[in-house]
Amino acid sequence: MRRKERTEILIQGTADIAKDFAKEIEMRYKVNVIQKPESALVLLKARETAKKSLFYLGELLVTECTVQIQDSIGIGIVKGHREELAHCLAIIDAAYQADLVETRLWSHVLENEKKNIQKNLQELNQSILRTKVNFETMDVQ
Amino acid sequence: MGYVAVKGGTKAIEESIKRLKYERVHKGTAIELHKIEAGMRGLIDQVMSESSLYDQSLSAIAIKQAEGNPEEAVFLLRAYRSTLPRKHVSRIISSENMKVVRRISASFKDVPGGQILGATTDYTHRLLDSELEKESDKSIQDWLRAYQEENRSTEYNQKHMDDLNNLPKVLDYLRSEGLLASCENNDLQPRDVTRKSLEFPSKRSERLQILTRGQTGAVTSLAYAVIRGYGALHPTVGELRVGQLPVYLDHPLDDGQEEDSYYIGDFTATEVEMLIPLTVEKEQGKKEIEFEVGYGMCMGQNETKAIAMGILDNCLERPNNEFPSHNEEFVLYHIDSVESTGFISHLKMPHYVTFQSKLDSIRKSKDQTTEQEVGLHE
Repeated sequence: MRRKERTEILIQGTADIAKDFAKEIEMRYKVNVIQKPESALVLLKARETAKKSLFYLGELLVTECTVQIQDSIGIGIVKGHREELAHCLAIIDAAYQADLVETRLWSHVLENEKKNIQKNLQELNQSILRTKVNFETMDVQ
Repeated sequence: MGYVAVKGGTKAIEESIKRLKYERVHKGTAIELHKIEAGMRGLIDQVMSESSLYDQSLSAIAIKQAEGNPEEAVFLLRAYRSTLPRKHVSRIISSENMKVVRRISASFKDVPGGQILGATTDYTHRLLDSELEKESDKSIQDWLRAYQEENRSTEYNQKHMDDLNNLPKVLDYLRSEGLLASCENNDLQPRDVTRKSLEFPSKRSERLQILTRGQTGAVTSLAYAVIRGYGALHPTVGELRVGQLPVYLDHPLDDGQEEDSYYIGDFTATEVEMLIPLTVEKEQGKKEIEFEVGYGMCMGQNETKAIAMGILDNCLERPNNEFPSHNEEFVLYHIDSVESTGFISHLKMPHYVTFQSKLDSIRKSKDQTTEQEVGLHE
């Protein structure tokens, strides 16, 4: 599983998964914290649709952490003030970068969580679609 | 009359700051941050948008500290923002990827994907709800349970489920029908007004950045003036959508493949595409109506501001010195909350020397007039 999909699941899903994965790695490997979790900004670059040009919409507050496992660097970055999650994400990222054997067993956990996320999204969509307008043509006398 | 430098007021200022805190807390009840976040979504969104900093928790602290005064809250957040390192620029955010919670069109009844009202005050009666006086955490929990139960009972329809994450855009439909000129992606890197001072003529990216962080009231008022006649537009909302936009970052050292990017979370945004009819002269003096698009997008659910931004965007694309609303210097220099409220409120600060100097001038001119009058009489 590539990083985009993996981080989507770890951030949108329950935080326990990231915690459990990180704990597993910390118990077996030396994790060197290069940068403790700290606040930073991400500049949001957006494409407008009138002329399809780019502009900056503003900034998003994030928490970012960097760790090293063996010779691999991992980065954990997440919206808002979430120090523990940023730390866990960095460890998981480093574990994948180092191709640690544990990561191969995580795929099914992530796939299951992906299904839960999709189910929750479907429920949300279902609720929103109750506000969809159903137009009825009126009789003309 | 000479000027004498003076100092003082330190003690008075200290006591004034205590008095300010007293006014915030004197009723003996602390307003908890999670309650601000839970119940003041509109104010939080407004403050984040005008601050140009997206974080609900920080916005709630700013609102608490400012006692609910948006201009002060925006000032606090802008100041805080300047203390943080900006470490990344996101991958390009596209509204096609929005997880829509509301989408309407005032132009097309049968817009592809349908009119999805979502959460809106548009169809409420605006009658003050005195029942809210009695609302408690328990009554809210009961209502939520009933609402969730009601939703669960709705027949599940997989066909609809995919709609909201992949809603077709009205502009794409118009472009495919040949009713709107098509255009290719323009990947010219935007300018950042927070790093480089504005120069005229401005770039489109600078205008959009200033409009999106503009003060809601100022942006709305100028757009209203346009429609009342101090401008030359007659716009309609082509599409308005509110929803969650995902943010991705490239790895700092990798080659920037999308599948290897970091997802960092979603943020709520409002996007508006205004359709503006324009009469253009074709061959042999034949006149035809074409559409132009005014674009508005801002953080949070700020629909009036996004619509107003779309109107002003199009005004500034068509400079016209007949109307101040089409003059980029007039619009862009006067809509920023911190700049405008900061300048106006600085007038309260001591201007003793400036004012005394003006008094001196008046006294001198009066003395000269009196001397001349005496001379005439003699």
